[in-house]
Amino acid sequence: MLLIHCPYCDEKRPEIEFAYGGEAHIARPLDPSALSDEEWETYLFIRSNARGRHHERWRHIHGCGRFFNAVRDTVTDKFETTYKAGEERR
Amino acid sequence: MSSLSVSTSPLPDEPFAADGVRVSRSAALQRYSLRARDPAKLAAVVGRELPGRIGGVTDGIAQLGPDEFLALLPVGTQLPSGEEEPVSVVDISSRAVGITVEGEGAAALIMSGCPLDLDRMAPGQATRTIYETVEMVLVRESETRFHIEVWRSFAPWLWQSLRLSAE
Amino acid sequence: MSGYRVTGAGRVDRARTVAFTFDGQTYQGYEGDTLASALLASGVTLFGRSFKYHRPRGVMAAGVEDANALVSVTRGPGRFTPNLRATAVEIYEGLEASSQNRWPSLKTDMLAVNDRLGMFFPAGFYNKTFMWPRSFWEKLYEPTIRKMAGLGNSPTEIDPDHYTAAYVHCDLLVVGAGRAGLEAALAEAGSDKRVILIDEQNELGGWALSDPDQAQWLAQSVATLTAAANVRILTRCTAFGFYHDNFVGAVERLTDHLAQPGSGAREKLWRIRAGEVVLAQGAIERPLVFEGNDTPGVMLASAARTWLYRYGVAIGRRPALMASHDSGWQDAFAMAAGGVTISAIVDVRDTVDDALLRQAADLGIAVHLGSSVIGVSGRHKVTGVEIAANSGTGRKRIACDALMMAGGWTPTLHLWSHSKGTIAWDESLGAYVPDKANENVRCAGACSGQMDLGTGVVVPALPTPKDASRIKAFVDFQNDVTAKDIGLAVREGFKSIEHVKRYTTNGMATDQGKTSNINGLQLAATALGRPVVDVGLTTFRPPYTPQTFGALAGHAKDALFQATRKTGIDGWAQDNGAVFEPVSQWRRAWYFPQDGEDMHAAVNRECRAVRESVGIFDASTLGKIEVVGPDAAEFLNRMYTNPWKMLEPGRCRYGLLLREDGFITDDGVAGRISPNRFHVTTTTGGAARVLAMMEDYLQTEWPDLDVWLTSTTEQWSVIALQGPRARDVLSALDTDIDLSPEAFPHMSVRLGQICGVPVRLFRVSFTGELGFEINVPAEYGPAVWKQIVAAGQPYGITPYGTETMHVLRAEKGYIIVGQDTDGTVTPMDAGLNWAIGKKKKDFVGKRSLARPDIVAPGRKHLVGLLTEDPSLVLEEGAQIVADPAQPVPMTMLGHVTSSYWSEALGRSIAFALVAGGQERMDETLHIPMPGAVHKAQVSGMVFFDPEGARINV
Ligand SMILES: [Zn+2]
Repeated sequence: MLLIHCPYCDEKRPEIEFAYGGEAHIARPLDPSALSDEEWETYLFIRSNARGRHHERWRHIHGCGRFFNAVRDTVTDKFETTYKAGEERR
Repeated sequence: MSSLSVSTSPLPDEPFAADGVRVSRSAALQRYSLRARDPAKLAAVVGRELPGRIGGVTDGIAQLGPDEFLALLPVGTQLPSGEEEPVSVVDISSRAVGITVEGEGAAALIMSGCPLDLDRMAPGQATRTIYETVEMVLVRESETRFHIEVWRSFAPWLWQSLRLSAE
Repeated sequence: MSGYRVTGAGRVDRARTVAFTFDGQTYQGYEGDTLASALLASGVTLFGRSFKYHRPRGVMAAGVEDANALVSVTRGPGRFTPNLRATAVEIYEGLEASSQNRWPSLKTDMLAVNDRLGMFFPAGFYNKTFMWPRSFWEKLYEPTIRKMAGLGNSPTEIDPDHYTAAYVHCDLLVVGAGRAGLEAALAEAGSDKRVILIDEQNELGGWALSDPDQAQWLAQSVATLTAAANVRILTRCTAFGFYHDNFVGAVERLTDHLAQPGSGAREKLWRIRAGEVVLAQGAIERPLVFEGNDTPGVMLASAARTWLYRYGVAIGRRPALMASHDSGWQDAFAMAAGGVTISAIVDVRDTVDDALLRQAADLGIAVHLGSSVIGVSGRHKVTGVEIAANSGTGRKRIACDALMMAGGWTPTLHLWSHSKGTIAWDESLGAYVPDKANENVRCAGACSGQMDLGTGVVVPALPTPKDASRIKAFVDFQNDVTAKDIGLAVREGFKSIEHVKRYTTNGMATDQGKTSNINGLQLAATALGRPVVDVGLTTFRPPYTPQTFGALAGHAKDALFQATRKTGIDGWAQDNGAVFEPVSQWRRAWYFPQDGEDMHAAVNRECRAVRESVGIFDASTLGKIEVVGPDAAEFLNRMYTNPWKMLEPGRCRYGLLLREDGFITDDGVAGRISPNRFHVTTTTGGAARVLAMMEDYLQTEWPDLDVWLTSTTEQWSVIALQGPRARDVLSALDTDIDLSPEAFPHMSVRLGQICGVPVRLFRVSFTGELGFEINVPAEYGPAVWKQIVAAGQPYGITPYGTETMHVLRAEKGYIIVGQDTDGTVTPMDAGLNWAIGKKKKDFVGKRSLARPDIVAPGRKHLVGLLTEDPSLVLEEGAQIVADPAQPVPMTMLGHVTSSYWSEALGRSIAFALVAGGQERMDETLHIPMPGAVHKAQVSGMVFFDPEGARINV
């Protein structure tokens, strides 16, 4: 079971307090109706599926309740960093 | 209040005790979920001081997240609703029930299913966490006394799990 | 010497004899004995039969690495544990153990014929043989394989024991309490660090328990650690797995060694989070590979020494030694010093250290260098060995009654490898050693490769003049893999050790290849003509040794398997005879049978009561979310398909929630309590999911909105009062709310008091009748429910369950998300276009409603179905076809999603998802079901009171 640093609680907490939230930095388009079918498809379904460094969302659901972003290596499973939602991609 | 409308609890009246630990149903509480982006506005609405950081507890109000507070107050305490203000005040008195775990073995008993290192949790701290699969809010009232808040329908399961673990 | 027990040697307590049975025969041992040591002391050599060939087997090692002596222990009904290692079973008074893999008895095993048919069981036997003909699988191959396969027997009864678990945190975890582990713990004894020291055995010491010279040091060390307040010692505790961030799983066996286990937990699962981990798991001696190396009485040299010095048991009166490593000589000398005559030392090496030769000469032990054992005589017990010079010449027999083998040492890297530490090949050891750590962990002692046991050579298999294709020289004793199986795998083209492993099953048994991995690897590397490092090493995976399912499940069994959520009113339902059904984690009243009614009769009666008078229903499990803040209406407007901004306080609206891909995910009614406060309901099963989805959008897409979400599912008891007399019942209660139709129209909500407690009273209906949903704080739910039931007596108020609720809503054409939808249904498919705010520029899922495949023709639509035979109730899930005469496989148009007997209509009704359904109105379709194909006509979905006259009263 991983230890995950919650950037809001600012401490490492056990993985079972968290929920995984898929790839990070995929913002919902401000005006979806302006998107072509292909663009909308990309937003809905296309993900990087990175081998290695992966930006992803987690939520400290059984803790402070906040979504945050993380960089995790999908090969080693190690977290490089975590940061608050809304902060610059790292 | 109609004399027929009595309050009921999902937990037994009788506490149980085992080696170094006693587990009992906590007294009824007035509970509020308090939310605000700006804690100062919330403090103004409820007219109370708020803890300054996640995990802190001030006068019965625990800070669970950056914009989330849980007020555990004496029954009958009414807080203003803050209508029109950028805050959320929701009465959740009936949502959860309290369990008191006390004694030298209190922390160890809670750690039977809670993955937190309670040696590192100081008295006066509170946090939302989990016991096996059931979410709870844990308040450390003293070195040897914890208060657990658990949603009503999960309370019998948690009570039973603690009872079995205490054996 | 009594039997094979040696006077004066060992740590067993001679003052306390222990009687036990093995295969029904009674034996005696001493306290401190394992089943293996006690049986060896009694002269037993035959412990079990092997997996594939059913060959007779004895004990090969003295610890958990033993691959042969698997036994079953029974302690009464349900308490049956197969595949225990006799070397790890502590005896207690009354222990009942039995051997495995034999029929009818251990000495006469009918399946031993497999051994004679060995040529028919080569590597990959199953893969090759049972491919054809296909029809043989069901009737011949599978039943036969099932009968023959498997180690031991599965328990057949429910395990009555209970198991416990705990998390524990420490600064230093030491795994293994041999010399290195003890030293690591001693270094921190008395410090401010929290130290945990665990060992799988019954006492601390590891190899030191087999070495009388270390006894005094050991006793002092144990005393120091026991006295140290900062050290927690766990014996009989196996660290079985090493997981991320120094999280180690360990199982402590609490009662298996006790004659009277008592009522406490049998085992405890320790979930340990450690700052630093020291692995001091030691090393395991390797067997040598030669014909007959599995004969009972052939065992590791170090094990023989352990039997003697820890348990006071001689493995024979005149054992011989086959060595490729100095350590075996030292073991033989120690045995001789303990009074056991060593009949010969055979070493595959041409030269060994002079000191060894001198000591052997002093002890009068015959030595054969440059030689190997090429055969073992005796079937159930060694009676002698045949040796030959490595050149193949000079074959001769040596009389002996046991054979020790010393093939060098393999550091125990299991947990290190679980932690993803890298390993490096050590040529001098002929084994892998730990290299780079991936966690804050280090190895200490023998498992780090630091051993002071002399030198040796690595020989994949001992030289033999015999035809290698006709002998069985075992590599993996538990899975019966021989040297020639590995050679065959390589010849058949397997080049990776991972493939060789799976093809031959080498290292795949319950012992995880503790004694076989390196030998298998050496054999494969030799056959491939490549260096060992190029061939690799198979991955170690948890558990280190087999663990019980009970320990892993912990408390999660029976009532505690998972929380069964009950509403406050559940107790009343139980007292009133309800039959329950599970709905997500909740248990809900399904129906309330009276006087021997069956479900059909009860549901019909409940339906009539609601349609004709009044029914009461516990809807407390409905998900509820309080949405509060200045942007509450804006937020709901963005989430739901419906418009919310113009909804007036005190009014309610049906809400339909889509996922971003356009498919329905939930629905419910929301009431506007005040301008900035909504009381939103969700489906029972969707409550947590919907709240998480809303939080996601709120926190990550629209963090600027001033609105907050609070789950209030458990804050409110929800009592649905439905039927034409609902208002009459409510009026009889003490409430300050004006219930008149003018003041309180359908789809509105009022706040006030009822029965002396606060209430949010909704006028809503999921039945098509006049209806109210009475929300009171959950703690008062049961009290208010009882008062309503009392007030409803004049009207024959009838409690109803989820089944009646389903029937009533289906009569009205109301869908249940998750039953009538399956994650591929759009609002248009479900006929819910009306719920979409046409003027809304955006909401979650809106853009997807214009996706090409969602606007394409031929999608499945939700429609009504009326069977030609009105008494026939279709099966939910039944498939629908246009033409029942078409050849199989038929083109399926869709399936029945909901189907009931409608008491109000006197006929059956159904919903179905049908391709192009909305264009098929009145068309007759066919539903093949067991026994017959049924006809049904496509219809609209509102079967009862289509004008809604009954609601607006
Ligand atoms: Zn957090």
